[in-house]
Parts: sequence; C-alpha cells; structure tokens
Amino acid sequence: MRRDVVTTLLGNELRMLVRDRRTIVLSVLLPLVVMPLMLFGSRWSEQRRERRLAETEMSYAVTGPHADAVRRVLAFGEARLASEGAAGRARMKLREVPPGDAAAMLEKGEIVFYLEATEAAFGEGATGPDAETRRPGERAERPVPGVPEVAIVFRGDRDESDEAFARARALLRAGRAEARSLLLVERGFPARGPDVAAVVTRDTATAGHVAGLTLGRTLTLLLLFFVLSGGSVVAIDALAGEKERGTLETLLVSAATRGEIVAAKHLAILAVALVVTVIQVGNFLLYIGFKLIPVSAGWAAAVSPPVAGLLLLLYLPVAALVSSVLLLVSGRARSYKEAQLAFFPVFLLGILPALAPLMPGVSLRSAVVAVPIANVAVAVKEVLTGTFDWPMIALAWAVTALAAAGVARLAERALSAERLVSAAERVEALGGPELFERRVARNFAMMWVALVIGGVWLGEDSDIRLQLLVNLGGIFLLGSLLMVRAYRLDPRQVFALRPVRPVVWLAVLAGAPAGMLSAVGVFRLANLVLPVPEKMMKAFGEALLPEGLPLWQVLVLLSIAPGIFEELAFRGTLLHGLRRRFSPPVLALVVGVVFGVFHVALFRIVPTAFLGIALAAVTLLTGSIFPAMVWHALNNLLGLLAGHYRWPLDELDLDFYAAAALVLAASFWVLWRTRRPYPGLRGTADRGQGTVDSSP
Amino acid sequence: MSDATVTVRSLSKVFHDEARGDVRAVDAVDFECRPGEIFGLLGANGAGKTTTLRMLATILQPTSGTATVMGHDVVSEPEAVRRNLGFYSSTTALYPRLTARETIEFFARINGIPAADVRARVEGLVARFGLGDYADARVDKLSQGMKQKVSIARTVAHDPPVLIFDEPTVGLDVLNALEMQKVIAEFRDAGRTIIFSTHIMSEAERLCSRIAIIHRGRIHACDTLEALREATGKHYLEDIFVHFVERAEEA
Repeated sequence: MRRDVVTTLLGNELRMLVRDRRTIVLSVLLPLVVMPLMLFGSRWSEQRRERRLAETEMSYAVTGPHADAVRRVLAFGEARLASEGAAGRARMKLREVPPGDAAAMLEKGEIVFYLEATEAAFGEGATGPDAETRRPGERAERPVPGVPEVAIVFRGDRDESDEAFARARALLRAGRAEARSLLLVERGFPARGPDVAAVVTRDTATAGHVAGLTLGRTLTLLLLFFVLSGGSVVAIDALAGEKERGTLETLLVSAATRGEIVAAKHLAILAVALVVTVIQVGNFLLYIGFKLIPVSAGWAAAVSPPVAGLLLLLYLPVAALVSSVLLLVSGRARSYKEAQLAFFPVFLLGILPALAPLMPGVSLRSAVVAVPIANVAVAVKEVLTGTFDWPMIALAWAVTALAAAGVARLAERALSAERLVSAAERVEALGGPELFERRVARNFAMMWVALVIGGVWLGEDSDIRLQLLVNLGGIFLLGSLLMVRAYRLDPRQVFALRPVRPVVWLAVLAGAPAGMLSAVGVFRLANLVLPVPEKMMKAFGEALLPEGLPLWQVLVLLSIAPGIFEELAFRGTLLHGLRRRFSPPVLALVVGVVFGVFHVALFRIVPTAFLGIALAAVTLLTGSIFPAMVWHALNNLLGLLAGHYRWPLDELDLDFYAAAALVLAASFWVLWRTRRPYPGLRGTADRGQGTVDSSP
Repeated sequence: MSDATVTVRSLSKVFHDEARGDVRAVDAVDFECRPGEIFGLLGANGAGKTTTLRMLATILQPTSGTATVMGHDVVSEPEAVRRNLGFYSSTTALYPRLTARETIEFFARINGIPAADVRARVEGLVARFGLGDYADARVDKLSQGMKQKVSIARTVAHDPPVLIFDEPTVGLDVLNALEMQKVIAEFRDAGRTIIFSTHIMSEAERLCSRIAIIHRGRIHACDTLEALREATGKHYLEDIFVHFVERAEEA
C-alpha cells in the first residue's frame, strides 16, 4: 500500500467533505445546536412545571361520614413528612373544599381528587385508616375485613390530578405509619424508627469510583452514538453516494488499488467520526461547565489524565470497527437510498453491545471479552471503577481491533464485487418470480415485525380468537396471498397444491405423534449432557389452552387453523421462495428455524423449529403441502389433548421415546421410498437458473 | 505480434442472471491493438462492447481467456494495467465538488505521476484543453462541453500509452461530439493506442483504423474498412454491419 496515494485519496475525501454543506450541517452543526436546545428545553419545561405546581393551590374534598378521621391522618402525614424533610411535592399547596357532589366536581376539574372513606370501614376508636387506590400496573393493598378503607379518587389523565394524587397517597401512607407509631408509643412500645435502631451509611468506595461506575455504564453507549451518527453520513457518501454519482467507476479505473481506496475512505470516516466525537464531548464539557448538566464531584477524580489516555486508546479500535462496518454497509448498498435504509438496523445493532456494562455483575473475565465493543465497554467501566485487569484489557483491545480489521477486509471485497459497477441494475427491473425469490426473506422479516407489533398491540390478555385472526388470517394468509399477487406467481406452485400417494397418509398418521414424542425424548436425552431449561421441555407438549372456550372450538382454532394457514405461509410461500437458494437439507433447516423464530416466546422457539424442520422435510419428500398440513394439525391436536387431560408426555419411560423414534424413522422411510420430490430444488435436474449473484 | 500494446485472447464473460440463467455477455473474443491506431468496437446496445472494455480496464474479471495491456495481465497485474490505461466513458463521472485543476491533479497523483512533475503536467493539460479561465471553478458549475474536456484531461492525466473510449459521444451535442472525435484523432497521431467503442456508424467510418463488428458477445468481423468493403461488396458501414449481423443470426 503506497502511503502517498492513500494520503492523496484521503485528502480528496476530506476536501470534498468540507465542501459538502449537507454533511457539515447534519454531522456537526445540527448536533451542536440541537443538544443545547434540548437541554435548555427540558430544563425550562421541568422548572416551569415545578413552579406551576408550587404556585397553584389545588382543591380536594373529603367525603363520607368519617371524613374527620381521614383529615386527622392527613395531618399526621403532613407532620411526619415535614419532620423527615421530604421535599419536592411537599411544596404543592393543597386546600380542602367542602364536598358537594365530589364525583361531579372532579369531572368538572373543580377539585383534583377526593378521599372517600368507606361507610362500613371504620371501627370504634380507630385512629387511622388504611388508604389506597390502585394505579395501572401497581399492586393493590388487599382490604382486610374490619379494617377501614380510604379511596383516593382522581383523574390519571390530568397532570395536576395525577401529581396531587401522588401527594395525597404519600400523606396518607406517612399518616398511617405515624398513627401506628403513636398507638404503640401510647402503649409503651418504642415504635418510632430511631427508637428501634439508628441507621447510618458508610460507603467505602471513593467518590471517584462511584462516579466512575455511573460514567462507565453509559460512556461507551454515548460515544458509540456520536461515532455512528458522525460517521454514517460520510460513510453513505463514501461508497454508495459515489456509486450513484458514477464517480466510483472513475476511481476504480485509476491505478489506486482497492486496498488503498478502502483505507483512505476508512480513514476519512474515522477522522470525521472522531472529530464529531471530540466536538460533542467538548460540547458536553461546556454544558457541565455552565452547570446545564449536573454531574457529581467525583467525575474529575474518576477521569484522571492517565485514565483519559487509556480510554482514548481503548476506544480507537471501537471507532475503527464502527467505521469499517459503516463502510461495508455503504459498499454493499447499490444506491444512496439503500445505504440509508440499511443504516437504521446497523445503528440499533451497533449500540447493542455497548449496553453490556449495564448488565449487573458482568466482568471482563468472562465470555464478554470475546465480544467486540461489549468487551471494551466493560473494560472502560472497570477502569473507571479502579480495576485494571491488564491482560484482559489487552485481550479486549486485540479482539475489537481484529474485528475492525476483518470487517475492513470485507469492505474491500465489497468494493471488488462486480455487482457494484455492472450487474446490480438488472435484478431490480426483473419483477415477477425472480424478484420474489430475492425478496422472500425480506418479506418474511416484515411479516415477523408485523407479528410482533400485532402481539404488543393486542396484548397477552386479548381474546385468543382475535389473536388467531390477526396472526393466521391477517399476517400469514394475507401476506402469502399478497406475495402471490404482487409477483404474479402460480398459487398451485407456491403452495405446492399437489395430490399425494395414499400410503403417504399412513406415514403421516403414524409420524406426527411419533415425531412429537421423539422430540421430547431427544431433549430429555440432551438434558443428561447439557441441562435443557424445564420450560423448554414443557413447551413441547404445551399448547395454549384458553379458558372459557368449548374443547371443539379450541381444537379448530389451535389445531386445524394453524395446520392450514401456517403451512401455506411457511411450507408454501417461504419454502417455494428459498428452494433454489439452499440445498434440500439446509432448506428444511432454514424453513424450520424461521418457523421457530415466528413463535416469538423464547422457550417455544426450539420445539417449534424442530416441528418446522420435520414439516419442511415432509413437504420436500412428498412435493405437496397437504401431508404437512395434516401432520401439523395432528401435532397440535396431540399437544392440546395432552394439556387438557394432563398426559405427562415429558415423564414417560425411555422405551416409549425409543419406540416413537422407530415409528418416526419408519414413517420417513416410507416417505423416502415413495418420494415425489419438490420441483425446482437446488441441485436437481431442472436447476438451469443461476441462483448466486454475479459477484466473483 | 510483437508491437501489440493490447492483446485479447478467447476472452469470455458469463454473468449469472436469475431471470435468464447464465448469460454469455462476451464469448471468446480475440483481437489486438497497436500504437498509432484507433481500434473500433462496433455493435448495438448490449452487444458486449462495454463488458469487453471493462474487463480490459480490470473492473470486471474475465470468466475465461486472457487479456494484456502493455504486456501486463488484467487478472494478475491489475494495478500495472491501470497505470498504462486511460478509461473514458459516459458513465465515468467527475467529482462535482472539486475544481477542474484539482480533478486533474488528483488523478495525476493517484495514477503515479511523481510529485515533482504533477504541477507541470496539470498546467500542461489545462493549457492543452483551454481550461485556463475555468480551471479553478468547481466541476458542477461547468458547462457540458467544459466537463467533457476536464473528463478527457482526467483520463490522460498520467499520460498512458493506451486509451479506451467507451461510447464517448453518448449524450453530447453535435459540436461536442465532433470535438471529441478531433481529440481522439490527435491522441492517435501522438502514437497512443486507442480502443474506441460506438454504435454510431459515421463515427467508426471517420475514425477507426480497424473495425471489429461485435454481436451477441462475439466478434463476427475484424479488419480495415476497405477490407470489410471488399469482403462484403458493400460500401457503407451500416450495410456492412447489417450484413454480418444477419449472417450471425442465420448461423
């Protein structure tokens, strides 16, 4: 590699960058302006809110025949909170108003809450009520018979009501504790806290180490964010932008080597990322200096000059790795737009390892040292808390540096790929079945995202029928039909709607239950060597047994419907789309694993992937989707019945599993002997069509 | 031949296209070029001209066959090939944010002109192409004609012995196209080896010392215009071209 050529290329990159107003504005100026604006904005709104709450007198009412008892508890609470020096909401002014129709007053906003003492609640001589009201996601106090109950009635959707509610609850709780103490003291028990035991704290960590822990947890994340945001704009322009403008070809026909071009672009991204980082860190220090960002006094002690130097050294391979990844993504993209689209997932994935120091108890002397970026992030946290494990720090540095070099090499290869300059344009214009095969994986990824979003939207408690309608009908069936229509596919081919020989049905009837039992057996065996989580074992025989539905409905919804619709999507559309990309065994594996991943819950992924592989194998051997449909439905049926009648499928004698494995083997033997292979598979006679991209 | 600066032997390129399977874009092509001649590759769009020239420029890897430029193999010595080559095409764009002078200087440097000679070389080219008044203007501010001149100056910044012009007049108006032809003829007169691809018959007739007619990736004829006329009995290049294409289609 010639240094003068790399220097010339780098100089050219930087010169063009400086002249590109868009990059300067997006990478440098915007963050410089936005950061103080955000800080000022949040501080201003917070101060304003506090001032308003402090200045506004809020009205409340107390209702019920025992209002006086409630008022007494409130007074106790006021006294106790004042004695403890509780700040914050204590500044809020609350004023009791005479209750008319309290509920109507609350609705009209005349009061912010009211306290309602339940009529039957108070007993003779009670000095304090038990008061509580439940908020979403909060555990309610269980009412105890004979014990009074006070409801705080408020409007959680109104800012002032919500704030005042929290204040009222604190007062009631403090008042309750105070009343209890008083009761005990009156009867001669030492019930106040300091009377029982005085609590003092002594932290043996230095202020520097405490501050270092806080800083160390988030520093890598913050810096990574700067490097990614600063470097990405340059990276997109460096290769994808050049390709789009046609200047990449001009550069590739010069005498500069691919390695020299990649090195110069890499250095340019690195330089800009570091400059942006330095500017942002300076920006932060400035705000800290102006006290816009409150920091602990220990920060200065945590980051001494030698430690700062070590941090810089540790972060160099991280910045290099991020630059390499950005360059690789830019190099693989065919256009500026495609690169922009690819950067979002890179951004999310990129910051994931930087979260490692947030995991409790994670140490550099663990497997984390082998994970690039995560290892440096943990090393930084340890360094900032005064732990200098030099061999592991060196190893972490080397691992991340090696990863950076490896990805840079991949970026160089991406630059050599011919598709960058020649064949790339053709595929997009193809449309039809060819485009379907290229897009099928992406489309299923989108379906997965839709499934997850749908799950979150519906929530776990929603009606099972609605969940199935959304998943099976709205995502699997509709998604598959949309693909058939958009890519002008033949549904009979896509869904493998072909008749099979009668003997296949015998194999399916025997194979489905045998397959399920065999899978449980395999995992029980594996459990002897490698402990398999119990939940995973249970998940084999487990099917959701919704309450309140007759059994026949459950069977239709959870056995027959998935058998049809999930098969159409996975052993139909997905398998058809990927058939030329993998050899048949790998294809079955891929389709099975994707099927597993669609069963989002962690412990269901492995069992469903297992089933998915078997179903894909059945489809590949019979050339038809119908046996897989029946197999799938039978499998679910067995699971549901086992759940309903509490059959202990995971506690059988090993002989049962061995017998099931034999039956399964026999079933597949029959399927193999009578096979009518799936048409158009990779490696079969009608291959004809090239399946790999045109890269050398 | 010993004086050949470019030799191409059984050069083929197969693309794997998902729609059409294997596509032979270039199929066992043979030719060689010598200094002081303009070798024309004449063919319709998609005939394989650009793929052939991209293999010579080392952007694409040949599937089989060999090609050398100034004795350097395109596969094993790609950098040496590119040092001896200037490649101009309508798809090789200029950096819009550089000035004309910076563009020429940049390409002179990365193509290996010694640092001490760069300034003289750049100023020579600025004068040669009449860029003086515009040399310090950014490329994106220049007219189409001026951009074309900067682009040619960029191509010859390192004074390469072999020049490839891949459809250089596509998108140019008549005057600029004529200017381009004039410049190419001057390089020929200066003893450079020139490979010139086009689908415009009149350009090939006017400029080329020898013409190769390429169709569906194969060269069906390769000779001087006079020899092609004699072989076909037709006078106009257009008729000669159609003659060979029809014969190829019938075969």
